[in-house]
Amino acid sequence: MKTQSFYAKRIQPIVFMAVVTIICIILTAALHLYTYDQVKENEQFFVWRSVLDSAAISHDGTPSDVVKLFDQYVTEDGDMYVVNTPEHGRRFVLEQTGPGLWGPITVMIGFEDDKTTLSGVSIVSQTETPGLGARIEEPWFTAQFAGKKGPSFKLVEEGTASQPKEIDSITGATRTSDAFKSIIEKAFVLAGGL
Amino acid sequence: MSELLFPLAVFFASIFTSNILLTNYLGMCSFLAVSKELETSAGLGIAVTFVMAATTSLNWLVYEFVLVPFQLEYLRFIVFIIVIAAFVQLIEMVIERYSENLYFALGIFLPLITVNCAILGASLFMVIREYTFMTSFFFGLGSGLGWLLAIMAMAGIRQRLRTAKIPYGLEGAGIALIIAGFMAMAFMGFNGMISIQ
Amino acid sequence: MAKSNLKKTFLTPLGKDNPVFVQILGICSTLAVTNKLDNTLVMTLGVMFTTALSSWTISLLRNWIPSRVRMMVETLVIATYVIIVDIALKAYYPEMWKQLGPYVGLIITNCIVMGRIEAFALQNKPLPSLIDGLASGMGYAYVLLIIAFFRELLGTGTLWGYQVLGSWWTSWAIMIMPPGGFFMLAIFIWIVRENFIKEETNE
Repeated sequence: MKTQSFYAKRIQPIVFMAVVTIICIILTAALHLYTYDQVKENEQFFVWRSVLDSAAISHDGTPSDVVKLFDQYVTEDGDMYVVNTPEHGRRFVLEQTGPGLWGPITVMIGFEDDKTTLSGVSIVSQTETPGLGARIEEPWFTAQFAGKKGPSFKLVEEGTASQPKEIDSITGATRTSDAFKSIIEKAFVLAGGL
Repeated sequence: MSELLFPLAVFFASIFTSNILLTNYLGMCSFLAVSKELETSAGLGIAVTFVMAATTSLNWLVYEFVLVPFQLEYLRFIVFIIVIAAFVQLIEMVIERYSENLYFALGIFLPLITVNCAILGASLFMVIREYTFMTSFFFGLGSGLGWLLAIMAMAGIRQRLRTAKIPYGLEGAGIALIIAGFMAMAFMGFNGMISIQ
Repeated sequence: MAKSNLKKTFLTPLGKDNPVFVQILGICSTLAVTNKLDNTLVMTLGVMFTTALSSWTISLLRNWIPSRVRMMVETLVIATYVIIVDIALKAYYPEMWKQLGPYVGLIITNCIVMGRIEAFALQNKPLPSLIDGLASGMGYAYVLLIIAFFRELLGTGTLWGYQVLGSWWTSWAIMIMPPGGFFMLAIFIWIVRENFIKEETNE
């Protein structure tokens, strides 16, 4: 059997790899560029939707509705969002990021004008365990914060919260629940300084 | 938590409380296939640890200094794999050249490692969790050691089960999975030992 | 003649040669995402897409790939298709993308994809390879969906996010955690092997 030439043995594999790599990169880059605007729009939609949710402004979930309501009621002021509605007066929404179990959790936290009562919280992004820590995004979890006054809270077993300062944690997601509580409490400190 | 302690906390967490195999299910294929014997398991585990520590560090550098500045983050899947594959290839050549013994012991595992999901997974997690370089290195090292720990424990248990009577349906993969399930439960007991916040 | 061959190529990975419970491939993501039905569906669709197209592509190239870089080329092709899935999800189904996180990227290392390429696509023509890849993905899909059905039901009392079991049911939280995944898969393999595969060897 003919021994392979130097080219075949050493160079050809590298050339082949390079060609395949370049084609792959071109394909993925093309798709990325094609969807870039859409991805940016999605990201902004998530942020704006969270602002509305934490200020307890109801919407139907569609991007067009969210954009419309955001433009109508919200102004950005430095690091925070000021929300003015005829029904609820003025509210402030702060974005707060803290370390979760797996990665950073970003939350929008809405305060009433008195800066000590929560109007609502909404999660912008998290990478917690699906089915466990990720349940912080579920409506029942975030809804329990509306109307609560801080600045500190107590985590109790899921389903047993009864006192004003008590929060239901998530069964099987103790650390994520802890992380979330810290984030909310930090926001109170920030709100106090407004 | 201070800057200095965080990498150490991540190190211990990745071995025990967030064991990449028992909590994130990564690296199962080779885990189930190889864990029948203690010696081979140890060999593979050490190789995995070495590659994991090195590639998370390398990939961090590539991500920080090449992908991010040029806004090419979406290419990370391709780039990380190339880095891992190239690294393993390099190691294989170095070992082949300088140590016959080591090559015989570890050589066969190296191609297996390239496709071990735990290796790629570790790099991907490091990006998601936005770790610093030091943390990434300890995360990679710890994840590897955690994997090693798990596979050796599994091999030890399976060796003892060789003389036990196992139902036909559970032979092989079935019983290995059940053992893994109990090990995962046991490791959950470490939760709360180290808090990362 | 060719048609019945294709039919066989399609059916084998669904039952006799099922990637999950016979070949024991693709375990990693099996266990990670099966705690919710909707995650599982998206994940398995991604795997079907990737396995089918990767097998097809490698089969097209099979006579030109230098042996030294075989695995790297395979991985590159697989990675490209996975990135396509990732970007497509991110742009058009962002909620789902948020939920699946790193596990989409891990389709790349899902042994099923690589396994089918090595075992089939490298030695067969493009069309059979496409079908084999698709069928393997489907064989993977239905197993995961069954496991996810039980894990979600027993673990949170819901199915597809909708509450099915009332508050009388105490959730078996262990089901949605890692050990639950291991146990469910083991039980599944046990039942299948005792009841179906034993019968085949007896015939």
